[in-house]
Amino acid sequence: MASVRLRGIEKRYGDNLVIKGIDLDIEDGQFVVFVGPSGCGKSTLLRMIAGLEDISSGTLELDGKVCNGVEPAKRGIAMVFQSYALYPHMTVAENMGFALKLAKVPQAEIGERVRRAADALQIGHLLERKPKALSGGQRQRVAIGRAIVRKPEVFLFDEPLSNLDAALRAQTRVELAHLHRELGSTMIYVTHDQVEAMTLGQKIVVFNGGRIEQVGTPLELYERPANLFVAGFLGSPRMNVIPVTLAGEEGDAAVVRLPDGSTAAVAAGAGRLAPGAALRLGLRPEHLRLASTGFGATVGLVEYLGDVTLVHVQVPGVDGMLAVKVYSGGPAPASGSRVALAFDPARAYLFDESGAALSSTTAHAAAL
Amino acid sequence: MQRAESSIAAATGSPRREGLPALLLLAPFLAAFILFFLVPAFETFWLSLTESSLTRTNGFVGLANYATLVQDPSFWDALGNTFYFALLTVIPLTAIGLLMAMLVNHFVRAQGWLQGVFFLPFVLPISVMTLIADWMLQPSSGVINHILGGQRPWLADPSWALPAVAIGTVWWTVGFNMLLFLAGLRNIPAEQYEAAALDGASGWTLFRHITWPALRPVTTTALILQLIASLKVFGQTYILTSGGPFNTTRVTLHYMYETAFTQSDAGYAAAIAMAFVAVVILLSLLQVWLVRYLARRDA
Amino acid sequence: MNMSSAHKSNLGWSAVGAVCAIVLALLWAAPLLWALSTALRPELETVSADFHWLPQAWTLDAFRKTLAAGNLLRWLFNSALVALSVTVVTMAISLMAAYAFSQLRFRGKGILFALAMLAFLLPFEALLVPLFRTMNQLGMINSYAGIVLPQVVSPVVIYVFKQFFDEIPADFREAAVMDGAGPLRVLWSVYLPISGNIVWAMAIVTFIAAWNNFLWPFIIVTSTDMMTIPLGLTQTYDAFGVRYAQLMAAALLGAFPVALAYILFQKKVTQGFLAASGLK
Repeated sequence: MASVRLRGIEKRYGDNLVIKGIDLDIEDGQFVVFVGPSGCGKSTLLRMIAGLEDISSGTLELDGKVCNGVEPAKRGIAMVFQSYALYPHMTVAENMGFALKLAKVPQAEIGERVRRAADALQIGHLLERKPKALSGGQRQRVAIGRAIVRKPEVFLFDEPLSNLDAALRAQTRVELAHLHRELGSTMIYVTHDQVEAMTLGQKIVVFNGGRIEQVGTPLELYERPANLFVAGFLGSPRMNVIPVTLAGEEGDAAVVRLPDGSTAAVAAGAGRLAPGAALRLGLRPEHLRLASTGFGATVGLVEYLGDVTLVHVQVPGVDGMLAVKVYSGGPAPASGSRVALAFDPARAYLFDESGAALSSTTAHAAAL
Repeated sequence: MQRAESSIAAATGSPRREGLPALLLLAPFLAAFILFFLVPAFETFWLSLTESSLTRTNGFVGLANYATLVQDPSFWDALGNTFYFALLTVIPLTAIGLLMAMLVNHFVRAQGWLQGVFFLPFVLPISVMTLIADWMLQPSSGVINHILGGQRPWLADPSWALPAVAIGTVWWTVGFNMLLFLAGLRNIPAEQYEAAALDGASGWTLFRHITWPALRPVTTTALILQLIASLKVFGQTYILTSGGPFNTTRVTLHYMYETAFTQSDAGYAAAIAMAFVAVVILLSLLQVWLVRYLARRDA
Repeated sequence: MNMSSAHKSNLGWSAVGAVCAIVLALLWAAPLLWALSTALRPELETVSADFHWLPQAWTLDAFRKTLAAGNLLRWLFNSALVALSVTVVTMAISLMAAYAFSQLRFRGKGILFALAMLAFLLPFEALLVPLFRTMNQLGMINSYAGIVLPQVVSPVVIYVFKQFFDEIPADFREAAVMDGAGPLRVLWSVYLPISGNIVWAMAIVTFIAAWNNFLWPFIIVTSTDMMTIPLGLTQTYDAFGVRYAQLMAAALLGAFPVALAYILFQKKVTQGFLAASGLK
């Protein structure tokens, strides 16, 4: 059983509190992704789990045992570094076998395990080479191989794909997913790339400013973001945000007043908010459509991407452009033309002043 | 840096647990450092306040040694000789070193040879230099007199002894300055020269407006390092001229040595040492200040 | 100024430069070459009124006599032993100390390092008297240990190594820690191999400095048979009298090991000296 439990984890650098109280449960065999912008603390947290950083307060349990002060090598954890950190003076085989050598595993067994891991990663023919004779992708496999060989309970990945080019990244993503299926081990993966997070993670933890914004499956996070930050972080292009005010209620849907004065219904509960309250309306680009009636906008930039066209529009009263995804086959309006935008109330989100999402009503939930 | 520091601390559990491996790793150095540097350093200071021989300490005398020092003509003579020697060597060492560096930098194909010829003397023991210098400066059979004519006994001539030693020292140590300047030259980005060449500059103009200003920090460093090294001169004058003729080549350290080992006056010698250290420290600080001042002025 | 005249002017400078280079090179090589020429001629020729640049009668007599005089070989042995010992010990303790200062966290690290670097300011020359007294009390006067030990304290070497270690990406150390290596193990298996070049450079430089050290052996050695080369060569006047061919032969033989080290390892020596002076 390789579960990971974090309770009240905090990290202080001098007077600076950078990790502000993390509670998290990771089950055995899960592939968990820590995602967030630079500086949000995801890497720091990973390193605390690894044992490379002190935990200022809180408890870390691996497999039910508290291991705050335990040496990294004794935690049953292996880490793949962003820079791979392959020992430059050792061959691939020596790199992969180093930990086992330190653990005084018999030479024959080391050779066996190294060979098996190398074959699984298709680098068996590179065992006698030194890291500088390898390509980036090959080095990355060696780094992964070094971790596999140790048969750890938990794998830690620190932005392992960020040094690869786009094509290699996509391919390696697939291979990592495959690796997880094969080994079935618990994996904690840190990235700033939300595409990696969405495709690899069984469970995603969104970090911001040292705190967890939301934990959930990719679907949950995408379709039911708990706040504006999560809503804006996942999804490309970003969710469009329009400042609106609460006009009233209509049945179990809220009615909001848009900047141009028109009103629209949103399948979200207004709760205890009074009419006139400042809210923010969130609409993903794929949920906005060019219609014959709706609120007015002027077309700015049109980006043709092949399967989809992005139409960037300017809406009076809204800073910046909104993005509308138009799928191929649909008409792409000319720049400068006036259009009307419409949306399905069940696909819209409302966020209050603090950024928290207003709970979706049953209509909303049913639409999902 | 913070990350690096705390990570190792965490790796072994706590900063306290890192103290033990750190102690083990530092112990040999610390032992040697304390025994052969720290203790002698304090002892020099303490000795200077006592009346002592090489083997016995006779009594505390406070600042008496220093009082004597200030009024001791031999000391000031020795100090004067030392500064004179420094004057004789520092400028040639810097100028020739710079010239050599520029030549080595320019003639890339001959670089190994050229650099080797200029630097080789620096790796030789001092007594090799003194033996050869002594031979070359012989009044009747020495090659110098053969070239210049005459029978002048350079090392026995009070006006020429120190300059002769200085010239020998320049031959011996200029290679090091060359290295410093070479490193400095190589740090000048090629683009600066290219841009200037496009503007039509060449030769002397290039040197004056690009090379020389860019070399200012290195030049300052080289000057001060040479100055301090010149102040520490001892071997050459001791071996070649034994401090003579008529004490014209007796430098500060030589005077200290004589006081300690010939006159067995360890206390007074220690005072000389302390005075010497003060001068060296002063000049080192001067270098730091000068480099910073120049850097700020250029910024 | 058009390009071709700039070109011409550059050629002009090049010619001047070439002449300069040749003249300087000859000037600098001359003393050693002259010493060699002297050493290869019979003794009588060296003092004859008839001056010749090259030997009229080539002979290895001077070298033979010098070696036979007995002490030179002994001095070469002493120098080799001392220089090697100083180098090995200095490297070992400096690497360990530099690693501790660079990578480990412990109380008082800043103060200790500053203290060690203080030795930069205080010249060795000022410590001669108390060092002599200490050695006397320890009974190490005129002994190998006595010659070697004070020379192993080298803040310069520690500083150079520490700077180098600081530049090594922390990832390697962390990966090694994750693999289960303790601090000593990390130094030995990871940092040392990565630092190969700079260690060799500082080792050679330390060797040369130890070989050439005159001042300390001069103070601590009291008998001829314990002398190192720099010391011993000053004794040659007494040993050979005024016999310049032999004196030059002795000088060249004494210079040979370090000269060879330089010729073989020119790049490393250069690198080492530059690092030691604080430039890269």
